[in-house]
Amino acid sequence: MTSEKTPGQPAPLHAPRPGGGLSQLTRRSLLGLTGLAVAGATVGAWPRLTGTDIPGRGSKGLKIAILGTAADAAARQGLVKAFTAAHPDIPVQVQAIQGADWKDFFSKILTMVAAGTPPDIVYVATEGAQLFADKLAEPLDDYVRRDAADMSDYFDDVHPSLLEAFMYQGSLYQLPLDWNAANMYMNTTTFAQAGLDRPKDDWTQDDFSATLRALRKARPADFTPYYWTNRLFGGVVPWLYANDTSFLTETKAAGGDWFWDRFYPNDPARATRGGGYQWLAPNAEDGRVIETFDYLRELVAEGLGVRPESGGGNALVGLFGNNRIGTTPAGGYWAQGLHDAGMTADQFDVQFFPRWRTQRHQFGAAGYAIMRTAKDKDAAWEWVKFCSSRDAMQLAIAKPNTTPTRRSMVNESFYAATGPKHWKVFYDTLDRFPTSGPIPAPPQQAAVETALMKNVSTAVSGSSADVRAAMGTLQRDLELALRRNS
Amino acid sequence: MTTTSTAPRQTVKPPAARRSFVERWLAMIFLAPTLLGMALFTFLPIIGSLVLAFFRWDIISAPQFVGFANFASLAEDPTVRVSFLNTIVFVIVAVILQLGIALGLASMLQARMPSWLRVFLRSTFFFPLVLSAASVSIFMRYMFNEQFGVVNWLLSLIGIPAVPWLTSPVASAAVVVLVYVWQNFGFSFLLFLGALTNIPKELHEAANLDGATGWKQFSNVTLPLISPTVLVASVMAIISALQVFDQPYVLTNGGPGDSTRTAVMVIFESAFQQLEFGEASAIGLVLTVLILAVTALQFRLSRRFVFYQ
Repeated sequence: MTSEKTPGQPAPLHAPRPGGGLSQLTRRSLLGLTGLAVAGATVGAWPRLTGTDIPGRGSKGLKIAILGTAADAAARQGLVKAFTAAHPDIPVQVQAIQGADWKDFFSKILTMVAAGTPPDIVYVATEGAQLFADKLAEPLDDYVRRDAADMSDYFDDVHPSLLEAFMYQGSLYQLPLDWNAANMYMNTTTFAQAGLDRPKDDWTQDDFSATLRALRKARPADFTPYYWTNRLFGGVVPWLYANDTSFLTETKAAGGDWFWDRFYPNDPARATRGGGYQWLAPNAEDGRVIETFDYLRELVAEGLGVRPESGGGNALVGLFGNNRIGTTPAGGYWAQGLHDAGMTADQFDVQFFPRWRTQRHQFGAAGYAIMRTAKDKDAAWEWVKFCSSRDAMQLAIAKPNTTPTRRSMVNESFYAATGPKHWKVFYDTLDRFPTSGPIPAPPQQAAVETALMKNVSTAVSGSSADVRAAMGTLQRDLELALRRNS
Repeated sequence: MTTTSTAPRQTVKPPAARRSFVERWLAMIFLAPTLLGMALFTFLPIIGSLVLAFFRWDIISAPQFVGFANFASLAEDPTVRVSFLNTIVFVIVAVILQLGIALGLASMLQARMPSWLRVFLRSTFFFPLVLSAASVSIFMRYMFNEQFGVVNWLLSLIGIPAVPWLTSPVASAAVVVLVYVWQNFGFSFLLFLGALTNIPKELHEAANLDGATGWKQFSNVTLPLISPTVLVASVMAIISALQVFDQPYVLTNGGPGDSTRTAVMVIFESAFQQLEFGEASAIGLVLTVLILAVTALQFRLSRRFVFYQ
């Protein structure tokens, strides 16, 4: 009998087995191989682990954050190319940050700030304008003054109300590039079924109720005469504005004369312009606020309007296209959405929001804000200025998926493929109703929006007495909200 | 005469002790990456959060020490109070339903049936667990839409009027519980299935001979034998339910009113939307203490009903 053990040597723990391949691997070899594999995978994944594969991370160029997908960022490549041609010394990188809504987007930008990787420029909507102005953004005053001659073309073409929405405590923080008012969309098929024509420009809240009743009579089931969502834009606020009130007391900051006197000296509403809107106190228990909520509650109770859920208007496109919605408030952005959903230009139309005590409209706008942390603010301003030029705006807004802030761009050819027939309503909103105001969005906008949304649904779901109780709760919640970070 | 040796004393360790020393160090080396990971990504954030609870911090400005002010403001904030109450009610209802359904279905699968059907049902019950909670909730949001949802359409076929599933306080809470339980019972189900399969058949046969059938056999034989699994499943279900976020956030955004707002939702809103990181940390700390207390209570009570073989 022969022994496998060599004299003086320890016996191998796992002697090689007959055969070949993996079966001959010892445990030690296997562990070694696994270690190598892990090390290899770590080296291979190093760019991902360290985040260096994120577009723009570590690059020296301007980092521009937008709300959207990678496809949205890619769609801006024409704009980037044109800018690079004009400024070859300023490399730029567009970073798309996905989010469910603006609130979500701002949270992610703040997270980037906390992580020490803030972008240099951020596309900010009215919802976040004061949050950024208060904490993160650089005022544009000096740049605008310095390049006043270049900027005149832009200011001559853009309604002053849109600029005023981006003033904060006397300084200008953004140049608005796109905007939308809460107008009233109408499904013309359902209007025809009810024997209704397009309402007049100065239709009233009572006309609106009568329209909804006629729509309901014509389509008793499987149909919603008025669909609205529970959010800051297009929710209860347009009705509050039409009733000449708001859930926050609206005032204007002092200052801003440097801007209005230089760029809008002939503005008919010059006397009313100030240093930007401010919302410093809650106003939920105001009689008109209660009256407005009660009106919406009645619409719900009568089956003319839905109990609003949170969410955006995009979800409604399909339902509107299938003639299951009669009316809904939305901005110019819906024209392209409805067209993409298969609606022809004559299947929908738009009208001003109905008049109540006033016909003041709500609007929202958006533009680039330069971050205080931007390494090269002069270069960042060049981007902001370039994007406000007509050529750049035509590259950025090729389709009516929003309303350009330049009046000259809102024309027949812009809406030729999509409609609606009365596209002029979009920009006329500001010209006809110059007191129209932005979304009420103080620096504590997120807390304010949460407070509003949670009480809207309660207010419109019960009795008239419940409305008053809900407004008491809203008042309390808003007081708490406005105290945050103040 | 005594002789004293001047030679240094050599302490020769026995081979077993040397091996033990090497093994200890080897163990430490192998454990080091995990321990480092836990220190960096678990303990450090916990300590950071604990410290942050005593500061006011909005990410952008420097943190400001405020003592117990964050805790005081929590006590004053009705939304926080309601969210904790909602969470507790949610945990009670959801965990009872989750464990009940999981145990019921696992017992059902013990019955005689073709093996393909058993495999199909097992996969079907487990399937929701592998789906993303957010995408499930988005889908369910469409299903439960008052005007256009499939659920109300089905109800309309049998003459039931439209239910405001997501816009009425009671109905929306029910939908959140339903969606959560539907998605999560699969885990408890698998645990129970494993435990039930491990019960020796002889015990049931003996119980049969003694005349115990149905509920008696279940309560006197099956339940005691799977009680350790029941404990584990209930601890995990409660901890998970206390941290519920995705379903109420996507389905109802906490509404209508505060009816479906949960503690973790308030933490998220305070930190990432309202920039009150100190207050969010304070809420998180209270929630952590609540989870620890409930878990400790469960283990304490388990001595009375858990039967270890």
